[in-house]
Amino acid sequence: MRLYHVSKSYMAGQYALHDVSLEVRRGEFVFLTGPSGAGKTTLMELIFAAEQPSEGQILVLGRNVARIGAGAIPALRRRVGVVFQDFKLLQDRTVEENVRLALDVIGTPRREARARVFQMLKSVGLQHRRFHHPLSLSGGEQQRVALARALVNEPEILLADEPTGNLDPELTIEIMDLIVSASTRGTTVIVATHDHGLIDRYGKRVLRLENGRVVEDHPAASSSIGASA
Amino acid sequence: MSRVLMLIAIAFGNALRGIRRASTTSLLAVLTIAVVLVLVGSAALLVENMSGLLDEFGAELQVTAYLEPGLPAEAQRELAERVGSAPGVEAVLLVDEAAALARFERIAGGAELLAGLEENPLPASIEVRLRADARTAESLAVLTDSLEGLPGIAELAQGQEWIEGYARAVALARGIATGIGIVLGLAALLIVANTIRLAVYARRDELDILALVGASRTFVRVPFLLEGTIQGLLGGLVALLVVWGAYELLLPQVRFGLELVLGRAELHFFTTVESVRLVLAGAGLGLLGSMTALVGAGSET
Ligand SMILES: Nc1ncnc2c1ncn2[C@@H]1O[C@H](COP(=O)(O)OP(=O)(O)O)[C@@H](O)[C@H]1O
Ligand SMILES: [Mg+2]
Repeated sequence: MRLYHVSKSYMAGQYALHDVSLEVRRGEFVFLTGPSGAGKTTLMELIFAAEQPSEGQILVLGRNVARIGAGAIPALRRRVGVVFQDFKLLQDRTVEENVRLALDVIGTPRREARARVFQMLKSVGLQHRRFHHPLSLSGGEQQRVALARALVNEPEILLADEPTGNLDPELTIEIMDLIVSASTRGTTVIVATHDHGLIDRYGKRVLRLENGRVVEDHPAASSSIGASA
Repeated sequence: MSRVLMLIAIAFGNALRGIRRASTTSLLAVLTIAVVLVLVGSAALLVENMSGLLDEFGAELQVTAYLEPGLPAEAQRELAERVGSAPGVEAVLLVDEAAALARFERIAGGAELLAGLEENPLPASIEVRLRADARTAESLAVLTDSLEGLPGIAELAQGQEWIEGYARAVALARGIATGIGIVLGLAALLIVANTIRLAVYARRDELDILALVGASRTFVRVPFLLEGTIQGLLGGLVALLVVWGAYELLLPQVRFGLELVLGRAELHFFTTVESVRLVLAGAGLGLLGSMTALVGAGSET
């Protein structure tokens, strides 16, 4: 994944992102940090084509998403899992149905989809909850469901925007461990957080944004570097 | 292939879920379509039966030329031959005075009515049957024009004016029914569109999430189109049942009157094809309505 001189401005003269250039390699794990309003969410939205940059080019999985047509966005999204602070689960569907959504949109046959959802829920420790509805789950459990939905399609990239922002410290570690283990299986991961304890704990690469600019790019303690994602 | 089938199954599932979730507004949409199609359907049935009668009367349409009294038999036959070669004529039948009297006695059930008269008061006539392609007001006019001047013909009698009036009434009824149908159809369309727009609005969170997990535009839209189509289909079925019920219940009540006015009461209901067409009209309304809604809700979907 590569960004070349990317700027995003929602209002004339004000930049949510300003001249950001960076590269994230395949399988790399990156913490995106910085104060509220620094542009973390905006950066992620540009990567999964929820927003278009005002300037610059963005290469994701070999595509220039700065110029992506509306018709090509779904294909991109199937290769990029996303997780948010507020989980974004459907309350009128069971846990299984929520996770299955990512497989339903590509028409995965029901039997195969259920098997994969079961395996995925098992890996986040929620297989016994698959017929429950999200509201009957704790916040940590709901985020694990969201994570399962993001990962069930085996995406090449996982974007997590303050995934533990609503969780207490114990659950935060639980979720982060799951995200880190996804990265060890080869998924490129970007996690936005302003939890310094978390960043210190994992010793990964840290990109620090302030006022829409990258002010720090701190490499991982021990890096394993592959091709650009 | 199984993926396509799966996507279709999911689309149906989502459409039905949508209908179930908004059952009240869905029911309203179904009923609106049903009411509109009941009105349009009854009007169509009426017009169709009227024009069916028109065709039948047209088939029976014939011109009768009454001959001047005292015309010798030889002259009558010559006249009949000339009439037979007139434009649009298929066949002629010469009914002389004696035959007319015989026929009258047969119909009236006896000779008593005319028994007191010394002379046979009935005129001879030539009955003209028209070719199928000549059973129109125009060719009828041409024919009567050419017959009117012939010596020996006293009077021409034909059902033309009656038929023309009736044809005008049918055309008028058809026009009014079409006009009302279009207006009501548009109203139904807007109501379905509104129902679907509400459904889109109610499910915008879901649509956001679908977009995040890579749902195509088609995946998002098709369930709404199906939802509208299913509502329309149900509305069409309800309408068909209502019109059929009304036809079965009401017809016996008016049969006697019909027989009196029309000479017969052989009305018919929609054929199977026409019934299917009525139901499909409902489905079409529903589909168009939901398409309208999606155009309006472009950014959400
Ligand atoms: N949709 C939007 N419309 C207008 N301004 C926005 C929008 N999204 C973000 N911004 C602005 O862009 C800047 C960066 O926001 P954001 O990317 O959400 O930062 P962060 O996620 O780091 O808190 C902020 O000043 C925010 O107000
Ligand atoms: Mg943010």
